[in-house]
Amino acid sequence: MAESYRRSRWSNALFILPYMTVFLSLLVFPLFWGMWLSLNKSDLFGGARFIGLKNYYRVFSDPVFGQAVWNTVIFVLVSVPTLVALGLFLSLALNKTTRASSLLRGLFFSSTVLSVTIVTLIWRFVFIPGDGLLALLFDKMGWEQIGFLSTEGWSLFSVGVATVWWCLGLPMMLFLAALQQIPSDLYEAAALDNASRWRVLTRITLPSIKSTIVLVAIVQIVMQFQLFGQAQLMTNGGPAGSSRPIVLYIFDTSFIRWDVGMGTAASEVLFLIILLAAMVQYWVTSRKGEA
Amino acid sequence: MAVLSKKNRSFSPDKLTSNRALFWIAAVFAIVMIAPALWVLGLSFKDNTLLMRGSEAVFSAPYTLKNYTDLFHSSLVFRWFLNSMVVAVGQTVGVLTLSSLAGYAFARLEFPFRKTIFVIVLFGLAVPEQAVIIARHQMFSWLNMHNSYLGLMLPGMSSAFGVFLMTQFFRAIPKEIDEAALLDNTPRFRIFWKVLLPLTMPAQATLGIFTFLLAWNDYWWPLISATKKDMYTLTIGIASSQRNFAQTEGLGFLAAQAVFASLPVIIVYIFFQRNIVTAVSGGAVK
Amino acid sequence: MSATIDINSVTKAYGALTVLDDISLSIEAGEFVVFLGPSGCGKSTLLRMIAGLESVDKGTIHIGGERIDTLPPGKRGVAMVFQTYALYPHMTVAQNMAFGLENLKVDKAEIDSRVQSAAETLEMAHLLDRRPTKLSGGQRQRVAIGRAIVKEPKAFLFDEPLSNLDAALRSRTRLELAQLHQRLGSTMIFVTHDQVEAMTLAHRIVVMHDKKIEQIGTPMEIYQRPATRFVAEFVGSPAMSMMPITGIVSAQSSDQKGATLEVEGAGMVATQVPLPASFALDGATMGVRSEDTHVVQPGADGLNLTVTVVERLGERTLLYGKLDTGFEMIVEDSGRSTVRAGETVKFDFDRSALHVFDGTGRAYHMAEEA
Repeated sequence: MAESYRRSRWSNALFILPYMTVFLSLLVFPLFWGMWLSLNKSDLFGGARFIGLKNYYRVFSDPVFGQAVWNTVIFVLVSVPTLVALGLFLSLALNKTTRASSLLRGLFFSSTVLSVTIVTLIWRFVFIPGDGLLALLFDKMGWEQIGFLSTEGWSLFSVGVATVWWCLGLPMMLFLAALQQIPSDLYEAAALDNASRWRVLTRITLPSIKSTIVLVAIVQIVMQFQLFGQAQLMTNGGPAGSSRPIVLYIFDTSFIRWDVGMGTAASEVLFLIILLAAMVQYWVTSRKGEA
Repeated sequence: MAVLSKKNRSFSPDKLTSNRALFWIAAVFAIVMIAPALWVLGLSFKDNTLLMRGSEAVFSAPYTLKNYTDLFHSSLVFRWFLNSMVVAVGQTVGVLTLSSLAGYAFARLEFPFRKTIFVIVLFGLAVPEQAVIIARHQMFSWLNMHNSYLGLMLPGMSSAFGVFLMTQFFRAIPKEIDEAALLDNTPRFRIFWKVLLPLTMPAQATLGIFTFLLAWNDYWWPLISATKKDMYTLTIGIASSQRNFAQTEGLGFLAAQAVFASLPVIIVYIFFQRNIVTAVSGGAVK
Repeated sequence: MSATIDINSVTKAYGALTVLDDISLSIEAGEFVVFLGPSGCGKSTLLRMIAGLESVDKGTIHIGGERIDTLPPGKRGVAMVFQTYALYPHMTVAQNMAFGLENLKVDKAEIDSRVQSAAETLEMAHLLDRRPTKLSGGQRQRVAIGRAIVKEPKAFLFDEPLSNLDAALRSRTRLELAQLHQRLGSTMIFVTHDQVEAMTLAHRIVVMHDKKIEQIGTPMEIYQRPATRFVAEFVGSPAMSMMPITGIVSAQSSDQKGATLEVEGAGMVATQVPLPASFALDGATMGVRSEDTHVVQPGADGLNLTVTVVERLGERTLLYGKLDTGFEMIVEDSGRSTVRAGETVKFDFDRSALHVFDGTGRAYHMAEEA
């Protein structure tokens, strides 16, 4: 057997050793350790006792968890279509090479780079009663002030507004990237065919980015299911749990009430939901490659 | 020959795909978008005692830098800023090193189970943080690594995103470059170090900036790992000030903290907008 | 410096797919050999096996008498010019050329002098401090050759190095390569699918097809006495016209020179090609190159050609058309031809320049003059 420079060797694996060490110890091991913890009755620092699926039973029979799931689902159902629609609108409006368009694109994306603490701080300055920007506006209009963060029904909505403000940049950029992939000769052909703007939009532009729309929606579903910081910092789930999402439930259970078994059980449930969405995403991406 | 009239101007696809009205709606929307940020910026330049009487004072002089000078005397903000710097830079260096080595190997070298391992690493992309964070917290407790810089940096280095990105970049380099180097009698590590790594500089920039932002903005992990006030990162520090919103030192001071904390990312964003957009969209679309 | 290259029973397979089957070939020191063949014939793979970029499954390769197929690429003493040039983008021209020598720990002064002299040979001394991205295609090509020269290799390997150049630059570079070879006198192997490059550059051409060597010979041998039907059809432009042979009237014609054949569309043809008794008639063909045909006066003896396309090349005119039997044929006429598409002309062909191929594709030619 003659030697080839491409020959498979164990020594070549040395290059992946540093990463694999971190990967296995800080991602793979905790993943399985977390699954194990969800089957045990334990606290964060002490011993553990195997109790099977009891933690899962406790989680599912906890009305607070049920409320958190409900809140999260509602939140995803409202925020994701909003993000997709706004992102699509902005990408269509700003898909030009002019300086003004590029400036606005930069502006709409800029909020994405802020940390969740800054975003929530900014929006608390907007929402707080009395001194908030909206309170001032409502006073000027002569409307009655609303406790945006402390009223049931409004609190989750306010968290959603801050979230859309924070996350809008990514869908827009993804759509823009897809729009730029459409060959310009398609539009030239459409012009020769006397197509109207509306027909160009519905018959050429939108069909061409169909798979991106689906993809963006799934990416956003995965992201918004993990809603945490905004809710924790703006409302801390309140009032009466009306804005508490699943991740905040996991955080409170594990790190405030120190019930690790229940916390991990809840996190495995969320993991399963997200894995499902990720699988759909993978399926869509690989189909996009074929199309 | 006659001068071309406006009607004879050549066709541009812009005409069929864009619309002046759409653009102006987007422009108006941009004002709504930026208003909250300007509001906070305005508050940060106002004296707290003036704001106590009513926040509409923002819209008229006098303005002051007092809130910003206070940042440096009366609080831990500067220490938090330093912590964030150390953690973000350290994590970035770590991610770049690990990802470059692994990306090169996955893209160019043969070793047993290469494909299987790569697929497993890709699966890592689908693992959300909350599925591992409780167990990680326990592990770091055993190792007594909470409230340490290393403890804050390490978890971020396990992300598979960098490996994935670098693998793609190494794959995009023509194989002939490696082969030319082989014929030039170049040892394996020298090919990586002297020939290929310099070619990945754009990718290093993209991944580096992206990682820096991610580390700088990280909330979950420092929230549970850094429990001592002087080990807070800026993100957690601001959150702790925010939690006492009502009895805070004053709206103006809080606003100044927010502005100060976002300055580094805003600066990075202004200079490296292109890289950030590439990294973020590359990660989502694959 | 130059060395012999001996390839002995070399075989290569990717899994179940064999790409080279039992290839043997000897190249003399200082010889310029061209591997010619259609894409996918294995010519590049063979070159890369010599370079060490592909492993050798079976067989051996020797350079200058030393077995090298077990050595890593850098230790074989060969230099390669890639189709895409594969210059290191982040290094200047001078650094590109010096890199390999630095790896070999060649003395700094020696490196400088070799780089300088190669740059002068290739007339690119003024480019030494530039980066490849700042060079034109032709200049990159020179740097790639320069990078090979400075190594003073035992053999130069060229992998379709001209295919990324435009037509004018390609023919100029071809000439320069021929001159370079004359000056250096090195062993060179050149892979191409372009027969003009092969004919003009090679001492010997190795025609490859479907994992095997079809023929090894000088350009004239390849052109005038192709060993197989594949070679006959692949080399030469326009392609040789092939007419089916339906019968052998006599293996030796009356003037004792060759066989008389029954050819579809042409009737009885007295050739100067002697055929053996074992000749496989089934699927046999007679080949005629267009330059061995000529248009004759309407009344004279000859075959009818109904012209479908007229290609005027200036010094000659090619008539593409059909025989009465519907068989396709290319006939040459003078540059001043007035024939137009749709017309029918009479043509004849030179009986002494015929090629005969049996059913297996094996070629027979007129006896070589002693």
